[in-house]
Amino acid sequence: MSFGRFALKRSLQGIGVVWGVITVVFALRFVTPGSPINAVAPLDASQETRAAIAAELGLDQPLYVQYGQYVFNLLQGDMGRSYIKGQEVTTLVFERLPATVELAVAASVVALVLAIPLGVVSATNRNESVDYGATLLSLGGISTPNFWLGIMLILIFAVEFDVFNTSGRGVNVGDVALSLTNAEPFVGTLFAWLAYITLPAIALGTYFMALITRLTRSGMLDELSKGYVQAARAKGLPRTLIRYKHALRNTLIPVITVLGLQLGTLIGGAVITEAVFSWPGLGTLVIESINQRDWPALQGSLIVIGTSFVLVNILVDVVYAYLDPEVVND
Amino acid sequence: MVSSRVIRNLKKEFKRSGLAKLGLALVVIILLTAVFAPFVAPHDPTEQRLDQSELPPVGFAETTERTTSQNVDGEIRTVTEEVTIEPDPRFVFGTDGLGRDMFSRVVYGARTSLVVGVLGTLLAASIGVPVGLLAGYHRGRVDDALMRIADVSLAFPSLVLAVALIGLWGRAAVDVPDPFVVAGLAPGMPESFVLPITVVIVVGLVNWVWFARVARGEALSLRGQEYVKASRALGADDNTIIRRHVLPNAVTPIIVLGTVQVAAIILLESSLSFLGFSGTTLSWGFDIAQGRDYVSSGQWWIASIPGIAIMLSVIGINLLGDWLRDALDPGIEGEGGAA
Repeated sequence: MSFGRFALKRSLQGIGVVWGVITVVFALRFVTPGSPINAVAPLDASQETRAAIAAELGLDQPLYVQYGQYVFNLLQGDMGRSYIKGQEVTTLVFERLPATVELAVAASVVALVLAIPLGVVSATNRNESVDYGATLLSLGGISTPNFWLGIMLILIFAVEFDVFNTSGRGVNVGDVALSLTNAEPFVGTLFAWLAYITLPAIALGTYFMALITRLTRSGMLDELSKGYVQAARAKGLPRTLIRYKHALRNTLIPVITVLGLQLGTLIGGAVITEAVFSWPGLGTLVIESINQRDWPALQGSLIVIGTSFVLVNILVDVVYAYLDPEVVND
Repeated sequence: MVSSRVIRNLKKEFKRSGLAKLGLALVVIILLTAVFAPFVAPHDPTEQRLDQSELPPVGFAETTERTTSQNVDGEIRTVTEEVTIEPDPRFVFGTDGLGRDMFSRVVYGARTSLVVGVLGTLLAASIGVPVGLLAGYHRGRVDDALMRIADVSLAFPSLVLAVALIGLWGRAAVDVPDPFVVAGLAPGMPESFVLPITVVIVVGLVNWVWFARVARGEALSLRGQEYVKASRALGADDNTIIRRHVLPNAVTPIIVLGTVQVAAIILLESSLSFLGFSGTTLSWGFDIAQGRDYVSSGQWWIASIPGIAIMLSVIGINLLGDWLRDALDPGIEGEGGAA
């Protein structure tokens, strides 16, 4: 199979999965007790009022008509209107999405920047104190609930030392970039951004830092024992070149795949991190929508979360196939 | 199923690895604590003592400012004074905002975490393993369908899906009588244990796919083995082959995955109770949520201590998983560990 055909096949599969995601999210309402009308109608609403509301929301239609209508609207970017907030769900979701993406990316950066060097140092100094330190650190990292870590960070850095903000999202990363071009002082804006994002990014990123440290360490150990590394050593190539150019490169390919698969955990973690730091992202929207039985907003958020996961994983697979052509023939 | 070679490898790895010993020790301590909670806990974990609330843990006297209204020469004045709150040795880990003993709550919290972790894992395995084995053994359409369902299921983060299902289905709980208390062995302790049944069902439904993936992979590689072919040639039917030959040989990676899943589900349960999506109020995650409101006013222990309990349990179980994996080497590192 050629690379192009592989990419096409993977994309078609992805469309199928997204369709599955939409169907599951739609079906969720019908395996849930209680009618969505209850979320909208006043408690003492008469039968007529309830019927009128049902007709207005399209809930009086047969199931397959509702489903067809939902998918049809979705294809045009229309996810309906929030029962509670009154806004278009599409607007609502895409207002919240950047905050979650920003948090997830910041957490991944924190994780990668610390984990890859730590994993490499750990592998190249096997069974020395630095290796034990890194092993314990990563063991603690994968075993700590991120919401608790968030509260502990608040306790230490916001309550005791008063260095960071603990709730909300001050300026966004776009403002920081813009401050380079307008009259706002860049450093001031940068610090205003860091004051809000640092703690949530660390709370969310720690688990991934631990996971990537473990993967990098075991991957590096594996690569360093392979024949091509011994051949390179025998040729007298410098050690740093062998480690970083040859071994690390081959280690990072599987690390990227695992990261793609773990994106769900990252988004799941973001939901709870957002709750701890009152971060106005998709996670807080999901929880609000569930508690208020705001079906259109809940469905919209879940579909966007599921679809992002599918898209990122297609991207990861395609990049992987490009880097390692053997995958295509599997 | 468990050959003498497996036992030998386990022993060898256990002797070699200090971390395996630590893991086993932690798990045994937590298991005993959970089972014998009515004897380990010094107080009823739900008993409120409003006059003894917010007492610090032993060894941590707290200095706080207290503002009171006082009648000074017939005039009402507010007086702010520094007061030192001394710990009470009866409450080793201090008390929470309602004067409940933190140590007893941590002890009983172990029950919730372990029961949900183990039952959730068993449920996930009992759905995932048969489905995965059948799909991997038969291949073809069943397998394709399974893989697509798994893809859709993986697209939703466990926590998001669990929050949605519990939020929508309700937070049902079952009261399970505590045998020790019913038998009159531990007077003054809660008579029943609250099992958050919705949480167990949901974490099982959310995590079965990891078991299905691992079981399928094993069945795929085992179906081509000589003994499976021989058995088929002798006329054994597929179900017998799966039960007698495929499952026993796939059991090692499933056990290793199961261990990691218990840890993952404990983390998931604590996240759910933290967010208020659970059916019980005796849970480490729930206590962290309660303690969160006290963080800014200085009562750090209410949120900190249950978190340390979660961390130690999950570290213990993860170490146990590492030990099993290193000794049995089924090569499933990095799969299914996440909450």
